[in-house]
Amino acid sequence: MIPSGFPRIKFGIYKNNEFREQLFPFDAIPRVIEQDQFRYLEKGLKQRVMALNLFIRDIYGDKKIIRDKVVPEEFIFASSGYLAQCEGVMPPKGIYAHIAGIDLVQGKDHQWYILEDNLRVPSGASYPMIARELCRRSSPLTFQQNHIEDNRNYAKLLRNTMDYVNTGGHTVILTPGRYNAAYFEHSYLAEKTGAHLVTGSELVVENDHLYFVDYSGKRERVGAVYRRISDEYLDPMTFNRESLIGIPHIYDIYRKGNVALLNAPGNGVADDKGIYYFVPKMIRYYLGEEPILKNAPTYLPFYKEDMAYVLENFDNLVLKDVAEAGGYGVVFGSRMTAQEKERFLTLLKAEPRRFIAQEVIDFLDIDIMDEGNMVPRKADLRAFVLMGEEPVVWKSGLTRFSRNPDSFIVNSSQGGGFKDTWVLSQ
Amino acid sequence: MGIISVENTDRLFWLGRYSERVYTTIRLFSASYDDMIDTYMNSYQDFCSSLDIPNIYTSGENFIQRYCFDGEDTNSIYSNLMRAYDNGITLREEIGSETLSYIQLAVYDMNRARISHAPLIELQKVIDNILAFWGIADDCIDSENVRNIIKVGKRIERLDLYARLRMPRTEMIREVDRLVGRIGRTCLKYDVPGLEDLKLLVHAPEIRYGEIVCKVEHLFI
Repeated sequence: MIPSGFPRIKFGIYKNNEFREQLFPFDAIPRVIEQDQFRYLEKGLKQRVMALNLFIRDIYGDKKIIRDKVVPEEFIFASSGYLAQCEGVMPPKGIYAHIAGIDLVQGKDHQWYILEDNLRVPSGASYPMIARELCRRSSPLTFQQNHIEDNRNYAKLLRNTMDYVNTGGHTVILTPGRYNAAYFEHSYLAEKTGAHLVTGSELVVENDHLYFVDYSGKRERVGAVYRRISDEYLDPMTFNRESLIGIPHIYDIYRKGNVALLNAPGNGVADDKGIYYFVPKMIRYYLGEEPILKNAPTYLPFYKEDMAYVLENFDNLVLKDVAEAGGYGVVFGSRMTAQEKERFLTLLKAEPRRFIAQEVIDFLDIDIMDEGNMVPRKADLRAFVLMGEEPVVWKSGLTRFSRNPDSFIVNSSQGGGFKDTWVLSQ
Repeated sequence: MGIISVENTDRLFWLGRYSERVYTTIRLFSASYDDMIDTYMNSYQDFCSSLDIPNIYTSGENFIQRYCFDGEDTNSIYSNLMRAYDNGITLREEIGSETLSYIQLAVYDMNRARISHAPLIELQKVIDNILAFWGIADDCIDSENVRNIIKVGKRIERLDLYARLRMPRTEMIREVDRLVGRIGRTCLKYDVPGLEDLKLLVHAPEIRYGEIVCKVEHLFI
């Protein structure tokens, strides 16, 4: 039995223009996934991420999926994740989503549903890694007596992915700095992968290549950048001109194939909540296969028939603003006052493309320890798929749970906690 | 990757300096605290003047609380420990999580000392963690350059403090010798004639402590 003293990890959060460090509570009761079940998830996740990669390549290339009317162009070009600057750009080895964080939930029917694809800068792998390290120390017998896949190989998988696309030179992890919410993860992954943790001011583009500048002014070539900053801040010469944390001209040399950026800029076009609806169609279109993993039943108010359904079943649905993330912009129809509902419906009718509606999945509760008592809570699972020569699904994942018994929101920025995810090896 | 940025060089140096400042000032404070038991809590004024810190304290009790634990007081031990932590937290990939964890443990123990009725007992644990930090840094950091930059920071800080405290010649000579033996093994650029002057100053018939402080402060400028 693992002791219930919780190791704690801090993460930074900005709220009302104020930075503070918040604890990310760890619950020692793991989520356990049996081997057969994981094999099924693994197959479905690989399939999904392969299709998403093909989709991004197609969107910034031939756009066949639009021409064939599988995905309406309104959903591509109106998406905030679509970047015109990425048109015609092929990343090293043709990989766009090197590190994909796919959020799933398990319903009470034990069926897994995909909730969200995160293909930009998904975070969270470091937390189960360090939690496992501590749990193995505090309860070695638990790990001796159970057959659990060791999840501490994530750093090796990540390093393999980074090395596979490296165009020649060092590999670095680019962080916006200490006050970023995921700074712990940036520094921990740098330590464990042996990559160098850098900020934008330590890198410079010269003669069409990227260099790390050392203390003496000497330049060392960099061939792969696992960037943990958003697209818009990556290069002030191409994206947001006001960015002080990016590297001027890095996008120019990326376009020329002289450096790999993980994940590729422009991936947001594929993890937009509106595009999520089309992922099963993408799988059929690109791979000619039936999707293995299901989406949560989703409606696009953009379509007339879906809008009619949403209006009729409003109280049974959860509505999500496609431009928001981190659990923000999520509202439950049943929890709105009459006034809120009226205001929301006016907005929905005015901007139908901005929202998706989903059936509220009755999550399978999982147990957590709360002040010495075992209590059920809602939880999701972020699975990580790394795309190198072949897609690899990490045999673990970040299980996030809501600490509030009445909430479905599990995000750490909104007070959620996390668990380790055990994948059984036998 | 074997190369190190200007920013990280600077942080390593200051990590060494602040960790030493915490270590030495706790030891000095402990000795001073013991004196204060017999001198009706007034000797803190001598403590402030010897370390050249402004006496902003209103009483012996106020000094004990604020000098040790006040985050608003930039000279406090707590503030210096937090500066060590702030530098350390950005150096995880250079020094490793395990090395960094001892600075974090020192912060936890400092917070415990703040609410303790016997703060010196808890402050001893802060010292223990700083010593463990130096030990593991020596043992676990692969890069000799990284290890040496931390140590040079530590040596510089100790020399600075010892000069301000007018420590005996033997102590001063030992600290200068330790610095000389270490500084050439780093990537740091320093004032070579300035270091030679330091050697002469500690051997001069009369030690001019003020000049030593000045030389130490300008060794890297």
